Amino acid sequence: MENHALGPDGGHEVPQNPARVQLTGIAKRYGAVRAISNADIVLYGGRVHALVGENGAGKSTLIKILAGAESTDAGLIEFDGRPVTLGTTSSSIALGIATVYQEPQLFQELTVAENIFAGRELRRHGRIDWAKQHEAVVELLALIGLEERYAPMTVSDLSIAEQQQVSIAKALAQDVTVLILDEPSAILTDAEIENLFTVIRRLQERNVAVVYISHRLDELARIADEVTIMRDGRTIATHEMKDVSIRAIAEAMVGGMHAVQSREHKAEPGPARFELVGLARSNRFHDVNVTVAAGEIVALYGLVGSGASDIAATIFGILKADAGTMLLDGSPVTPRNPRHAQKLRIALLPADRKRQGMFAFQTIAFNVSIGHLPLLTKFGLWVDRKRETVIAKDMITRLAVRTPNELQAIGALSGGNAQKVVLARQLVVNPRLLILEEPTQGVDIGAKEEIHLLISQMADQGTAVLVVTSDLPEALRVADRIQIVRKGTTTVTLPPTASQVDLLAAAAGEEPENSQEGAGHENR
Amino acid sequence: MRTASALSPRGSETSTPRRNRIRQLPAAVSGQEVVLVGAIVALWVLLGLTTPAFLSAGSLQPLLSNIAPIAIIAIGQTIIMISGGIDVSVGSMVLVCAVVAAKLMVVFDTPLIVTIAAAMLVGGLLGLLNGVLIAVGRVHPIIITFATSNIFLFIGLRIFDSQTVTGIPPTLAVLGKGINGRFLGIPVSFLVMIFIAAAAWYYLRYVAGGRHFYAIGSDGPAARLTGIKVDRRAVLAYTVTGLLVGLASCMILANGTQNLDQTVGTGLSLATIAAVVIGGTSVLGGRGGVLGTILGAILVQTVASGVTQLGLPSQLGDLFVGLFIMVAVGTDLLRARARRRA
Amino acid sequence: MTSIKIPAPTPDTKPSPDSGQTQVQRLVKAILTQRVMLLAILVVLVVVIMSALDAAGFLAGSYNSDYLSSSLINAVPLVMLGLAQLVVIVSGRGGIDLSVGAIVSLVGMVFGFFYGVWGLPLLASVIGAIAVGAVLGAVNGVMVAYLGFPPLIATLATYYVFRSLAIVINNQQPISTKPIQDLYSLSNSVEIPLIGQYLPNVPLGVVLFLLPTVVVVWFLLNRAPYGRRLFAIGTNDIAALWSGVNVAASRAIAYTVSGAISGLVAVVTVSQFASARPDAGDSGSGMALPSITIAVLAGVAITGGIGRVSGVVVATVLIIWLNAGILLLFVGNVGSQLQSLALGVILVFAALLNGYTNRRYRVMG
Repeated sequence: MENHALGPDGGHEVPQNPARVQLTGIAKRYGAVRAISNADIVLYGGRVHALVGENGAGKSTLIKILAGAESTDAGLIEFDGRPVTLGTTSSSIALGIATVYQEPQLFQELTVAENIFAGRELRRHGRIDWAKQHEAVVELLALIGLEERYAPMTVSDLSIAEQQQVSIAKALAQDVTVLILDEPSAILTDAEIENLFTVIRRLQERNVAVVYISHRLDELARIADEVTIMRDGRTIATHEMKDVSIRAIAEAMVGGMHAVQSREHKAEPGPARFELVGLARSNRFHDVNVTVAAGEIVALYGLVGSGASDIAATIFGILKADAGTMLLDGSPVTPRNPRHAQKLRIALLPADRKRQGMFAFQTIAFNVSIGHLPLLTKFGLWVDRKRETVIAKDMITRLAVRTPNELQAIGALSGGNAQKVVLARQLVVNPRLLILEEPTQGVDIGAKEEIHLLISQMADQGTAVLVVTSDLPEALRVADRIQIVRKGTTTVTLPPTASQVDLLAAAAGEEPENSQEGAGHENR
Repeated sequence: MRTASALSPRGSETSTPRRNRIRQLPAAVSGQEVVLVGAIVALWVLLGLTTPAFLSAGSLQPLLSNIAPIAIIAIGQTIIMISGGIDVSVGSMVLVCAVVAAKLMVVFDTPLIVTIAAAMLVGGLLGLLNGVLIAVGRVHPIIITFATSNIFLFIGLRIFDSQTVTGIPPTLAVLGKGINGRFLGIPVSFLVMIFIAAAAWYYLRYVAGGRHFYAIGSDGPAARLTGIKVDRRAVLAYTVTGLLVGLASCMILANGTQNLDQTVGTGLSLATIAAVVIGGTSVLGGRGGVLGTILGAILVQTVASGVTQLGLPSQLGDLFVGLFIMVAVGTDLLRARARRRA
Repeated sequence: MTSIKIPAPTPDTKPSPDSGQTQVQRLVKAILTQRVMLLAILVVLVVVIMSALDAAGFLAGSYNSDYLSSSLINAVPLVMLGLAQLVVIVSGRGGIDLSVGAIVSLVGMVFGFFYGVWGLPLLASVIGAIAVGAVLGAVNGVMVAYLGFPPLIATLATYYVFRSLAIVINNQQPISTKPIQDLYSLSNSVEIPLIGQYLPNVPLGVVLFLLPTVVVVWFLLNRAPYGRRLFAIGTNDIAALWSGVNVAASRAIAYTVSGAISGLVAVVTVSQFASARPDAGDSGSGMALPSITIAVLAGVAITGGIGRVSGVVVATVLIIWLNAGILLLFVGNVGSQLQSLALGVILVFAALLNGYTNRRYRVMG
């Protein structure tokens, strides 16, 4: 690590008031996997502590330990200077440690006021103490910036942002000492993020220690007091936010990663196979411009909530665009639904394998052929099962799926093998455009390599490939060009020779012109 | 944002004078309930105009005493459905409770209180069985109650012993038949129903345990995580429904003749579900209330009695019940869809 | 299509879930997870026990192959409506059809008009009955799949509407004209050609209605592309959407199929009663409840995506032959009442078993 500013604890001023929570030498493993090997973090009341790191760096395990959802294998946890044992959610709640997860976990049919107290109503002599609850609701709503008229509204009537505010209020209904916010901004618009920051500042005034997890590094400069960077299960460094630049944080996040071998370019890409011109959808993305040539692999790299997956869903006809044009081999197309997209020979591997991809208790053959029933139907009456078997067996060989036979239920396969089967469904007919969303999420290293190789081969055969990913090395590994998606729009395009730091910094919000200086300071 | 105290740091909160209390609960009366009141009023006016006899005491009193048992069972059904369950065995439970009560009166000439208590005890036990099977077996309630419905049917028919029960004494008339069965001209059973409805309404709206049914129906696993005793609530809901079925069975006996035949309770399960659904309670759980259910029961019974008063075949009433369900649930779906678009 | 150049697939090194289990454990698992097997064992048990009781002289009549065969006439509507529920429940999202009995009543009356009053040819009348049933089922389908009604509510509403129409359509009167009465011959037992002399006579309804329905539904579910779509939407309708399946249409078709089968059952019922009765399908506890019971007993998962035609057939045979035995064991009303007890107890048992096997041997998603 040849970083000037980032020695462990380099330049980190210790605040005056004593630490609220101190975690020292934390380690945690799941079976053979070491999720956290050595993590230290100190939280102070009234300060916002950002926690950053690539996927798999150990952030979520660390906050689960803090929230009591996981126990530690080693290490010391001190609260107000006294050693404590966490490991159950109730033990954390008793200390006032509350967590707000990305997806609001609320009772949709209950009112805002009821949700705040659900299951732990304030009671007096066994009855709900309405007066006391009333006082608390008024105060909490004011704190989170919702008007009083929201109190009797049903949660299902609220927007996602409002629901998130309610879950913060729910967390605050107890005496909160530490509030953990897990990627709160990923689902919010800019205006909604402003509101969130206002709420966080109010909590600071109330001496709450806030842990703020985000991929959007540009936000951190505006809200965080200090930042801890995690990588490979370790806390690499902690800094005063005002002392570091986005680029420095990005460098620390990717630091130890080896340079990625990018794909060998076979030939010059042909003419544009697929183009997006000024594609827009209100509140999701705007002014999206992408070009993919036949035989070319373009990566759309964006952080969670960047809008990249909405763009993919729109190309596939799941969402509708409000404006812009989609061109396939030069002629404009508007897929009405996935069926129509398939007829245009657009194939898509969805991001959420279990929810959008797998038919868990059906066979491998079923899972492959379900996308191609018209092709497999004889005389419009029955499925050609011989051909189905041949295709399934061929795919098992071609993708090296580890399974005894094609009649195994996909739900019984490992993540990597199940992903290969879902991928096989997209390859039965050679697509003109192949969209792959997070193609190797939750897949082991070996299968990941194989899938990357396969993607490369598909392109070499003349398919235009669009890889939508939030996996940094993956973008560099497979793509011929990388387009950054940020805040719902395509920004810069980078070559695969770009460094991981360049990519991360671009996606996380660093403006290209001041790439060497701290970008966030002037916002403060 | 508008209250000053919220911005003050922890520990130095001053009690600022607050204007008026804000509500913490959904509106006491839903839009659907208002529409139902309108529909009932319109229907009564219409029937009053076409068949003037409809609005006479002699016509309304039987109507009210017919509404009472359906509405009372539907109150239990409402609690169950709010928590995400369903009970299709109430019809067969009525068969058992009614024949037990009838035989007790015929054979032992039991007094009013003992008869009602016995019927409620029997109903409560059957409901308890439903609740325990559902809570322990973790099986979908519709399947368990289909099954117990068959078992209850057997029990009831065995007690009947293949004969119509005859010579039932008028012990239960106090509940709503004849002069003795009225208070201020209103059938006692209807008044009892109003009393139970009010209690259930208060419980579901203002007591923590009542609100928990909504939480369970909204998201069962989350409710469990929040510390709500989901299984205990389920057992309670089905047992209470059983008790109410027992009481309602006595009212059905009171409304009937000296004889009780083996068809009692037929079709009641679906009729109570219809009343609950028309009243705006969601079959998916989490939403609804007792007020709507009562209105739904009144509407269904009014249509049934109106159809016969107009000289039409009585089964035509079912057509309207079906259409009411479609309209009530359909408008709710459209509203939800419009809301999602907005 | 080329293959990626990677080492030949090595068998998964992780031990297969079956290894390390004894024969007994594997057998227990097979019986618990493969419902048809369990049901078949139960059928054999019922027949053996009843035959033993017969031999010991406890039965009022003889429980022999002729008796069992003729009792199958009761299986005709039950299997057919069980298949209707199978298709609908497999389609997922709380699929259920409470309206099948009401469709039987209404279509029975319509068929009565077609054949008994207007004098249409029999075949045309039957096809007409199936078509009307399909249309009524499509009403359910549209409400569920396109308008978003919960299936329980949609079919509860149409249950009321259809049964009311069935009664109003002919002023509460049954249709029992000569042609309709003559249809009773369809309920006779016949000898199966060629091999029939070695077998007991089989009710004509089994051959004419039940077998064709079983074959068609089996083909639809296991061979036709629609079956794939149906199981796909029942297993995971979001994944089905992303795979290019028309989810709403596929679900609506399930209810339409259920209506069409109910329409054919109406013909069966009319022939059995020798009369088109306006309350044929919904008098007493109706036909919907027994058909749902059969489907659940057959191992059809109420959450969708799991269910087999063979399960429905064997489950019905179990219930029918058990009932036939009970009728001989207990003379009089007790016998017929015991049938509902048996149905209820078996259903509780099956439901609890479903829950237990799902928890114990769950196929992870």
